[in-house]
Amino acid sequence: MSFRSGVATFAGKSSYWFLHTFLHGGSSLPGKITLKLDPNILRTLGAKYDVIVITGTNGKTLTTALTVSVLHEKYPAILTNPTGSNMEQGIVTTFLNAKNPKTGRPLAVLEVDEANVIKVTQYIEPKAFVFTNIFRDQMDRYGEIYTTYQKILDGVALVPNATIIANGDSPIFHSKELPNPIQYYGFDNEPDGDFKARPNTDGVLCPNCEHILHYHSLTYSNQGKYFCPNCGFSRPELTYRLTKLGEQTPTSSKFEIDGHPFKIQVGGTYNIYNALAAYAVGRFMGVDPEQISDAFNANQQVFGRQEVIDVDGKRVTIILVKNPVGLDQVLHMIGTDTHPFSLVGLLNANYADGIDTSWIWDGDFEQLTNRDIPAVITGGERYKDITFRLKVAGIPDDKHIVEPDLEKVVDRIKEVPTERVYVLATYTAMLQLRKILATKGYIKEGLGV
Amino acid sequence: MTYELNVAHLYGDLMNTYGDVGNILALNYYAKQMDVHLNVNVVSLEEDFKAADYDLAFFGGGQDFEQTIVSQDIQTKKAELTKFIESDGPLLAICGGFQLLGHYYIGADGEKLPGIGALDHYTLAQDHNRFIGNIVIKNQETGETYHGFENHQGRTFLGDGERPLGNVVSGKGNNGEDGTEGAIYKNVYCSYFHGPILTRNGDIAKHLLVAALQRKYPDADFSQQKALPIPATF
Repeated sequence: MSFRSGVATFAGKSSYWFLHTFLHGGSSLPGKITLKLDPNILRTLGAKYDVIVITGTNGKTLTTALTVSVLHEKYPAILTNPTGSNMEQGIVTTFLNAKNPKTGRPLAVLEVDEANVIKVTQYIEPKAFVFTNIFRDQMDRYGEIYTTYQKILDGVALVPNATIIANGDSPIFHSKELPNPIQYYGFDNEPDGDFKARPNTDGVLCPNCEHILHYHSLTYSNQGKYFCPNCGFSRPELTYRLTKLGEQTPTSSKFEIDGHPFKIQVGGTYNIYNALAAYAVGRFMGVDPEQISDAFNANQQVFGRQEVIDVDGKRVTIILVKNPVGLDQVLHMIGTDTHPFSLVGLLNANYADGIDTSWIWDGDFEQLTNRDIPAVITGGERYKDITFRLKVAGIPDDKHIVEPDLEKVVDRIKEVPTERVYVLATYTAMLQLRKILATKGYIKEGLGV
Repeated sequence: MTYELNVAHLYGDLMNTYGDVGNILALNYYAKQMDVHLNVNVVSLEEDFKAADYDLAFFGGGQDFEQTIVSQDIQTKKAELTKFIESDGPLLAICGGFQLLGHYYIGADGEKLPGIGALDHYTLAQDHNRFIGNIVIKNQETGETYHGFENHQGRTFLGDGERPLGNVVSGKGNNGEDGTEGAIYKNVYCSYFHGPILTRNGDIAKHLLVAALQRKYPDADFSQQKALPIPATF
């Protein structure tokens, strides 16, 4: 460590101690201070670690958490960054907070924002990357899917020897020739048919000849066993295959990967992709399938995004929604519930939510109408938008309660005719609701994600 | 339903950014209240568009890459689309769809890409800037106020024979210079509004549906449809 790095590290660590001790905070400021003093600090801090970078639109947080628990089966020392700290400053802070490893070479499993991959690879050569998926996100901030992928590749270009472990079902990850070693994971559990993606799906053009892609099988959005009927471009050979899909409920999924049975305590096909990614990293790093299964079984707290809250006898599940593909998957997951349930939709449009609410129209709320939901509540700062969205989706007025005020939404929830209640909320709406629930004593203060 | 309209969703599988599909959902929602059944058909690459087959058309916005591909393919549909427009066919075009009905637009790489020139506007690019944010405009003829969310790099300049959809009250509009937003030509409505435009501005959905009904059923009485109240949704 150079003198400059030493001073910078000390300054960052002290500021973390100060913030953590006196202000109960400190997720990115220490990194900011350290970076000011030594812009190249990541080279020094990261040199001791084998680093795995996890990036993509959806599933970064859960894939990171699952990967950490899988790797813990074999590796005792693993550093990881808390959710929300996936940009340069947060990553520097993560390294600053780490205790000095006593023996051996520790691992760092880092969730990294797509545009910040290059900020990491300028200084650190990762052992592996994981690419989860690239979907239409809040485009007022991030741009189109091809731009987002290019940002990731700009970072990858600096480290041509790092292995890429990518979602093979996503055509964009097969669209560019790369010098890196690549392994793919994907779903291989259906006999071949011939399908097209739903009309309102992103990224369905063949990257090779620009015709519309077809699919032998589709999971959701533009993911599946794709092929181009015009030029023969097709899904690459998979290294890790989901070979069987078993029972799915809102709180559990059973499946087999490479013939090995697994169960995770969380619903949603998207979470099976996350588990598949964690499995792929585990196998790449030499963890046995049995150990991976143990890790999946042992780790229930990583699924915090779907915590169930008891509100005077109602089983309330709050789920964060932030983009159309994620929303569709959540709606599909809720639809696997065999019990009757009520639905709450809370929409805000602050910076953290995405300031453009158009995306709710890309979500397929229409799939709910065959469920005969006895009560639907819409609220939040942009309640008018979400109210009209659900009206158009076919929710009848006599079952639809419009309540902008989140405090009153909690009261209305107590009155719905079902025990189960699913609350779909954007980021700041979720924070506001949790604060109210904490004030009323239904949950402890804190984010819980 | 007493009436039936055939709707072409132009390149619905490629041109579908920022919830633009919500326009189809909104058309359906208001059509039902007008006793009209809609048959919606996606017309995409290498598929024929025949003016005579459709009563209404919707053309949404797309990502840069998809729009480049559509710019080539739409040349094969130029004659029939122009015929549809010139024979008073109602059409709603948003963002990239708006641009492609004009003479040309400048793509993300600075290259000039052709539209079909059915309408007399053209679109330039701006360097490293997009017009992003909430926008409000007012149509001077009807007095109607429209709300939307704009997100575009292109700067469009209207030609002779086109009226703006509205004048900018707040936001940027077509080009950030002349205070216009969108375009109206015959029964064609163009705009940069996402949000989507028809879910927030049901009056435009009503104009399109009524125009399509009157064109298809010239002898029917649509006074009830015209009187359909459109409650504010925004």
